[in-house]
Amino acid sequence: MAYALKTWNDFKNYQNTCYRNYLYASEGLRVMGSTWSVLAPLKGLGDDVHLMGGEPHAASTAGTFPDESREDIVAAETAGLGFHSCSYLKLFTGEVVRDKIAITDGTIKDGYPKPDLIWTTHLCSQHSKWYQEVSRRLGGIPMYAIDMIGGGNAEKDPKIVNYLSDQIEEGIRWLERVTGREFSDELFIKAARNEIKVLVLWGNICALNRHAPAPLDERRLIALFPPAVVDRTTDETVQLYQGLLKEVKHMVETGQSVVPDQRYRIVYFGIAHTYGHPEMARILRDAGAEIVASVYTFGTCGNFRGIVDGKWSWDPLDPAWVDELDLSTRRKTITELVKIVLGWPTWQGVRSYWALESMARAMITEYKADGLLLAPSRSCETDFRNGYIAMQRIFKSEIPTIEYDSDQVDVRKMDLPGAQRKTELFVHLMEAHKRRSA
Amino acid sequence: MMNKSSDAIIERFRSIAGNPHEYAKSLQRKGQLVAGYMCTHVPEEILYAAGMIPVRILTSHVSQAMTRSYMHETYCSFSHDCAYQGLAHHYDFLDLIVTSSSCIHMGEAFNVWVRFAGFQGKSFLIPYPHIIETKPAAAFMAESFGEFKPFLEKFVKKSITDGDLERAIKVYNHTRRLLRRLWEFLRRDHPPITGPDVATVTLASQVMDKQECNPLLDQLIQRLEAEPGKGPSGVRLMVSGGACDDLKIFELLEHLDYSASLIFIDSCTATRYFWFEVPEDRPDKLKAIAEGYISRIPCPAKDNVPGTGEKKRFRFIQQFIEEYKPDGVVFLYQRFCSPQPMDVVALKPILDKLGIPSTDFELDTTLPVTQFRTQMEAFLETIKGVVPLG
Repeated sequence: MAYALKTWNDFKNYQNTCYRNYLYASEGLRVMGSTWSVLAPLKGLGDDVHLMGGEPHAASTAGTFPDESREDIVAAETAGLGFHSCSYLKLFTGEVVRDKIAITDGTIKDGYPKPDLIWTTHLCSQHSKWYQEVSRRLGGIPMYAIDMIGGGNAEKDPKIVNYLSDQIEEGIRWLERVTGREFSDELFIKAARNEIKVLVLWGNICALNRHAPAPLDERRLIALFPPAVVDRTTDETVQLYQGLLKEVKHMVETGQSVVPDQRYRIVYFGIAHTYGHPEMARILRDAGAEIVASVYTFGTCGNFRGIVDGKWSWDPLDPAWVDELDLSTRRKTITELVKIVLGWPTWQGVRSYWALESMARAMITEYKADGLLLAPSRSCETDFRNGYIAMQRIFKSEIPTIEYDSDQVDVRKMDLPGAQRKTELFVHLMEAHKRRSA
Repeated sequence: MMNKSSDAIIERFRSIAGNPHEYAKSLQRKGQLVAGYMCTHVPEEILYAAGMIPVRILTSHVSQAMTRSYMHETYCSFSHDCAYQGLAHHYDFLDLIVTSSSCIHMGEAFNVWVRFAGFQGKSFLIPYPHIIETKPAAAFMAESFGEFKPFLEKFVKKSITDGDLERAIKVYNHTRRLLRRLWEFLRRDHPPITGPDVATVTLASQVMDKQECNPLLDQLIQRLEAEPGKGPSGVRLMVSGGACDDLKIFELLEHLDYSASLIFIDSCTATRYFWFEVPEDRPDKLKAIAEGYISRIPCPAKDNVPGTGEKKRFRFIQQFIEEYKPDGVVFLYQRFCSPQPMDVVALKPILDKLGIPSTDFELDTTLPVTQFRTQMEAFLETIKGVVPLG
């Protein structure tokens, strides 16, 4: 019997509350930007900082309001954004253009809430340009973008770690200037430890899917990591993920799963494309095939051991290690944050084909996969579409492998029937392999 | 019409731009080490100081299916075409291939060369900031260049002295000054050289040994200074956008049903290549090179001033508009290029305020001549004062 997660509602409530606070805050600071940024420095300004992260907001809006999302994307294009640009970017900017915003609790609010500042990152060629455009459209919002130069095992390169740390130190001085607030190292350090802890806890939760049956499926994984993305700096988030880890451990001990019928275990590389994902999941589920590991849901806001002796390891980090971290000064705290963020698998694979392939090989092995499903997103530069082409060349002779193109939120860019046919073929291929090896 | 002597010089540049592989091979036959580079953020000065001739990898504008097995179709055609150059073994003779962390698309073209075209053992990726305006960027760049230098020293089996670097800085600055003077002819109402020819010379300079390039540029400028301007120039068009080494498109701009002249190109294959200088006679040469490259007209993929989110490139564009007085701007960029159109959307209102009409056009591997001609003629018709030819 399928297991129903007890902590599910707590996660949904937390996400909704974060967004509602951003929309309706009568005091404090509204901050928007990529949630792939280090967030703890913002909390050095106080507990009343409300966050709106571009990617999770766009993804959840597309899931909650498909029709609104299409309108948003078209509005952004009508306002001049390119057809081939990132569709998260267009959905997000489209809301600004339409002067309305939709959030996960079902609210559609007229009048776009203007942020006080933008704190974001730059890695692919358009990441921070997203917020340049939003800032311009909202009349010039102060904006600080951090150059997240990375890829491969960048977190082990002191030159890169120092470069990022210097930018964040400079950014903290900028935050003080632009808000007129005094920066509290005490609040910052507390938020930083929470941030790192949540990332490590999420890694531990994901790693439990190595068991058979895997306790969680991709749909739950997608839904459970947003709190880590939206605001992972609070005590409440730490408690949420500690609670979830405890519950999933119990599921493993008792052999339970949210989807008990798991004849085939799939490793998935690709962004969780809102459109088409349920259709693919249905085809897989009918055949008893489940995505048990995914670089996007695991590695967008989660940390693992990473490259060890030249090879990738999806082993989780010990949460107790976070408690031991020396965060006694601002610089030490920034450095640890930088290392943890540069260590995100999703970052590491963006500009490094060898890291991407190494993590795919490790995931296939560690998660005992029966198949590798690749779904590059047509409008996401960070999704490293070329890596997927090379991965087919490498893995198709070792394990059933299929690739279909997707798009994170733009329905027009996905050939749904074509993707369904490929997914059906993928299922048949896994069945054939299993028969052969039986 | 230009006199024969300047024609002959331009023809020399044209033949090099038209066949960069043969030119590079000829350098090698003379005993030179030749290094290909994929992005203009590569500090050519360091390669030159090591005794290597940097040659930019350019494309062939031939439609090919080969790269689709290596690069996703949603990467720009320029990056596909550059990857093709490696896969087709057009540059097997290169001693080294170098790039800096550039846009994702060109980074992938480099990866294709390294992984699938036999360059794994003779390649170098220079870590380079994705935002060049951050305060710590210069130190980071100098540190990266400091890793590149010993790699090169080992590669060429000789040390690179400060004197070598200073000489290279001066040679390259000289090229930049000469190219700038050449482009300044186009500020005139009746320049002695056409925009497409200036673009051709600039493109050729990116694959040339500067020892040959600089005297040729010098001669060309001297001769042009003595030559009369050409006839009515028609509508003055400025091009702004991404990499475009398909010179036919610039020729086409001047051969429409309406009289038009190309007077400026803001792209990394044209003015963004050279519109800066590296400070000379500084004690720390690598820091000086970093400082120079930071002062460039930024690539849209790297342009975001922390604190304001300002795009520094726009300041340059407004300066060029003031100096070159275009009647219209053509935004020309590669299909699937993401940063360029993000800038266009913000540039258009600025041009609207200045009363300068604009249009944008997406480039593909091969030039869609008919569509481009139709669009450009329609654009020219909308610009006040256009008089049909003949």
